[in-house]
Amino acid sequence: MAKYILKRIGLMLFTFLVIITICFVLVKLLPNKPPETFGQDQALIEARREQLGYNKPIMVQYFIFLGRSLLGGDWGISESLYVGTDVMELFSQKLPATVMVNLYSLLLSVPLGLAFGIFAALKKNKWQDHVISTLVMIFISVPSYVYAFLVQYILCFKLGWFPLLVDTGTNFFLPSMVWSMFPAILSLAFGTIAGLTRFTRAELTEVLTSDFMLLARTKGLTKSQATVRHALKNAMVPIFPMIIGEFISILGGSIVIEQIFAVPGVGELYIKAITAATPDYNIFMLLTCFYTFVGLAAGIVIDISYGIIDPRIRMGAR
Amino acid sequence: MKRTTKIIVSALLCVCLVASFCATLIGCKDKEGVGRYSYNTSLSVFPTNWNPHIYQTDTDSIVQNYTASGFYTFDYNATKDGYVVVPDMATGDPIDVSADYVGSEWGIDEGETARAWEIPLRKDLKWENGEAITAQSFVNSLQLLLQPKTYNYRANTVYQGNFVITNAKDYMYGGTHAYLDNMISGDEDYVDMTEFKYNAETGVAEANGHDYAVKFGSTTTWDSSNSLTTYYNLGYNLYFYDKLVVEGEGEEAAWVPAEDAKDMYVEMKKNEGKDGEIVLTKAYIEFLQDLVARMHGFMTVEEYAAEAGDYAYVEWQELAFVGKDYDAVDFDTVGIKALDNGNLVIILEKPLSGFYLKYNLSSTWLVNEKLYKSCEKWTDGVYSNSYGTSASTYMSYGPYKLTAFQMDKNIAFEKNSNWYGYNDEANKNLYQTTNINITYISGEDTRRNAFLKGEIDEYGLTASDMEKYATSSSIYYTAGESTFFMALNPNPASYTATADGKANASKAILNVLEFRQALSFATDRAQFALATSPTNSAAYGVFSSLIISDPETGTAYRTTEEAKDVLLDFWGLADDVGEGKKYATKDDAIASITGYDLAQAKEKFNAAYDIAIDQKLMDPEDTIEITIGTPNATTSFYNQGYNFFVNAFTEAVKGTKLEGKLTFKLDSTLGNDFATALQTNSVDMLFGVGWTGSALDPYYLLSAYTDPSMQYDSAWDTKSEMVSISFEGLTDRKDLNGKTVKMSLYDWTMKVIMGEACEGTIVNADGTDGEKVSIEAGTTAENALRLKILAACEGALLMRYDMIPLIDDNSASLKGYKINYYTENYVYGVGRGGVKYMTYNFDDADWAKYVKDNGGTLNYEK
Repeated sequence: MAKYILKRIGLMLFTFLVIITICFVLVKLLPNKPPETFGQDQALIEARREQLGYNKPIMVQYFIFLGRSLLGGDWGISESLYVGTDVMELFSQKLPATVMVNLYSLLLSVPLGLAFGIFAALKKNKWQDHVISTLVMIFISVPSYVYAFLVQYILCFKLGWFPLLVDTGTNFFLPSMVWSMFPAILSLAFGTIAGLTRFTRAELTEVLTSDFMLLARTKGLTKSQATVRHALKNAMVPIFPMIIGEFISILGGSIVIEQIFAVPGVGELYIKAITAATPDYNIFMLLTCFYTFVGLAAGIVIDISYGIIDPRIRMGAR
Repeated sequence: MKRTTKIIVSALLCVCLVASFCATLIGCKDKEGVGRYSYNTSLSVFPTNWNPHIYQTDTDSIVQNYTASGFYTFDYNATKDGYVVVPDMATGDPIDVSADYVGSEWGIDEGETARAWEIPLRKDLKWENGEAITAQSFVNSLQLLLQPKTYNYRANTVYQGNFVITNAKDYMYGGTHAYLDNMISGDEDYVDMTEFKYNAETGVAEANGHDYAVKFGSTTTWDSSNSLTTYYNLGYNLYFYDKLVVEGEGEEAAWVPAEDAKDMYVEMKKNEGKDGEIVLTKAYIEFLQDLVARMHGFMTVEEYAAEAGDYAYVEWQELAFVGKDYDAVDFDTVGIKALDNGNLVIILEKPLSGFYLKYNLSSTWLVNEKLYKSCEKWTDGVYSNSYGTSASTYMSYGPYKLTAFQMDKNIAFEKNSNWYGYNDEANKNLYQTTNINITYISGEDTRRNAFLKGEIDEYGLTASDMEKYATSSSIYYTAGESTFFMALNPNPASYTATADGKANASKAILNVLEFRQALSFATDRAQFALATSPTNSAAYGVFSSLIISDPETGTAYRTTEEAKDVLLDFWGLADDVGEGKKYATKDDAIASITGYDLAQAKEKFNAAYDIAIDQKLMDPEDTIEITIGTPNATTSFYNQGYNFFVNAFTEAVKGTKLEGKLTFKLDSTLGNDFATALQTNSVDMLFGVGWTGSALDPYYLLSAYTDPSMQYDSAWDTKSEMVSISFEGLTDRKDLNGKTVKMSLYDWTMKVIMGEACEGTIVNADGTDGEKVSIEAGTTAENALRLKILAACEGALLMRYDMIPLIDDNSASLKGYKINYYTENYVYGVGRGGVKYMTYNFDDADWAKYVKDNGGTLNYEK
């Protein structure tokens, strides 16, 4: 197991480096805003770019990046989007809002998704199952920003139950803050609830028809005992990694939801860093490294989680 | 206790807890709002850095607007219809002390004026923490702005343009070898070609102890408007080959690149240095000589020299920059001095006075030195500074102080009790606003909903809102600086360049003035605005009502008699004004202009057809296909605009000789080349085009319409278009009073108005040419002279009917019931009074109650 994990980590680091290298080269190949379009002293703009090393060969810049940022931890200063701001500081300022909105959304989605999925599976082919399945299809098909507009218009504007926007501040545990975040949480949760419901229903339906379930019932277990102790545990093998996957997507944030409810998160940051007239290399590279690392690490965590959930699965076994 | 009872008790407890929590929240809110007057507004793009040394955008400067002051500031004039520039941190107007600084140290000659100015400062200037601000604070802040190697983005504000502090640039670039100055910028002599020596190893050309460079991206003395890159991209790239040959004979003869020719633009770019400079070698100089010759219509410099003489060989120097070693300069040599705590002297390299001096001093470079230095960071020689990126890294010294800043979320200000202005009698009963909250809201719907719920106090209307709110009593229109046009292409090359037969040739009717006039009269501009972007308004002249013709007095150009006469002449109403006539006043006549006259349009279409047939520009059976260009197929402005024109013009030709002959084609593929499509003859008509306005300098903006490299209609030769101007009432140039002077439109707009003396011809009473007279009307000339020229040139531009005014770029907004503006009209520089003059109908607590009493959503439709 340990050998397997070490091997996976080694491979992960290699993959990480390849991805980072490709991204670094590609982002540096993007055209930069010509100095004459700044309407400023062009020599000043050029000198600043020279100072930042933009005129050095890409390979030189790459090794500077590896040494100073990746290994040294100095990710530099934002040069076009948030001029003068330390990008790490900026990122750490904005990440909590994204994480908290999505975390709350997950806390709402997981129990509801599982509950609806279990209920639908138990009521397979009955009207309850049909209603849930229809709603699931609707909520999966419609993008979350559509709910966001509806939630904001109906619950916040028309009914006035919630504020239109997320409150100002960074204490995400304040009741008033959670209350203001609820429309955003709800908008994000719809899709996850629907996805989880569908997946749970499908897995559980399959498990419920297995032979061992028949055996469990013949041993004298009630339907609910058999379902909870045996069916659900087996069905969780593929469901649990899915929940971890959802958790990973938390960190990415949602550009549209964050915009609609004015969540000061990282959602827009990645896109803005690369689409700005002058690409913000430092922000882009920090986010690329972060998400690449999180994505790759999540892969390992999910793989390992199979072994923890189901002891029959042995990692790295021949 | 039974289980049911337990549940009921627990539920009750929960309800009580929640209710008391909510009540506390509401109670707190109500208490907090009493006596507090918050101005709540929103932004869809948030400021990121408001450090006065490196901020980049207008949005970034929003924080400074509330938290910083200038030496001088804009305020209402006595009649509240214009502005005056009044002292703010200064106690009076700047005092000319040039005489005290005469000598070589500052390069000021005896008798020179407007070179050194003493600014008397208030004694009670303070930072928000109570620390004093003295004249030395400004000196130290300037030194921080110009610190060598920091390359602060705003450093050029004190050495570029007309406000140039002596030695500021030299200090900034101290210790570097740079190519900052034009080789020829005025009085310098051209370097004789024989003086150039070429380095044996590098080939670099040197003369008079300097090397030289060309910068493709920079404008130069040769052309102060366009860089060589602009020329290259505008279709002159053929000229950039090192070798050209002539292909074909007679009329078909054309220049083409030789077989082994190299594109020197590409080649030389490879050697571009860190400042965009390409150091000149012998080969590069020879290429530049040919390039200049080609721009003059000669293939080689030798051919050009046959006409222009030796000048042909040195003209390239106007494109070049001088390489200099900038020695490290002591800051004492920079033109700023603190005489004492309350008097600051600024020494300028060029004379500057009056409005423009005070305008440049309406913002400052002041930073809190201690805090600023604590925000500095040098990493491997790279400088950065986080001053002005958060509430804790910024120090206010204006009427409000920054209390909270959450990136992309909220900015909060409250009154700065240490601001000097609150002790002034002049500000008594002003600044009722106690708090300012700016919230980030990117979505239009969310912003409108927030406004209707009373959460923000103003809402900028979008086109889709106009149907609902156009008649609202809370709507405010604000004139923009820009006017957008319908641009037509009368260029013969446009219908001879391609070979798609008669339909193409019939476009020649565009060259008939009456046809262009007909299109103008067939356009109902107000309807066009409604159909495309309802916040805009119809435009009838080249300049909008916001444009200022005399910055010293704040006079709006459109309010001057000269500007009124232009509109009356152009729209044919000049004879209808006066006692007993259709219109009592010029204003009445102008108010009646709609620009839409279907009968006249039909008349002009018939006349155009007759002329086109007479001149064999088209045959009777021909159809005319007008290609209208748009940048894309997705922007509703262009799609709706295209449909509008097709319908309007098709309707207008009904019953005329052109009925059934006028067809339209949409080219929505122009993309970023949209604006140049007319110049390159790709389309016959564009709309919604023009130049970004220049509120304080319409004179300079004139050149955009007459400079061949910028004109939409490249066929119009403004050098041969003669414009006669009659002068009257001049005080400085009394010799011109009663005289009419004739000169080309190009000379009026590109030379005279830019400050270059030009010779015009006096037109005699019988219309014959008289004596020559020299006229110069740059920024230092009397305004009456400049105004006459501006108006006459505007008239000439309109009469060409190739750039037909369509819409003024206005905006519309709703004002919440909570606040009141000081003036209904928007005044340049002061707006509608801003937070200084804003008054409130409710404090925050009353406002919350008012909104609640109205069902939580307010109605602004009436």
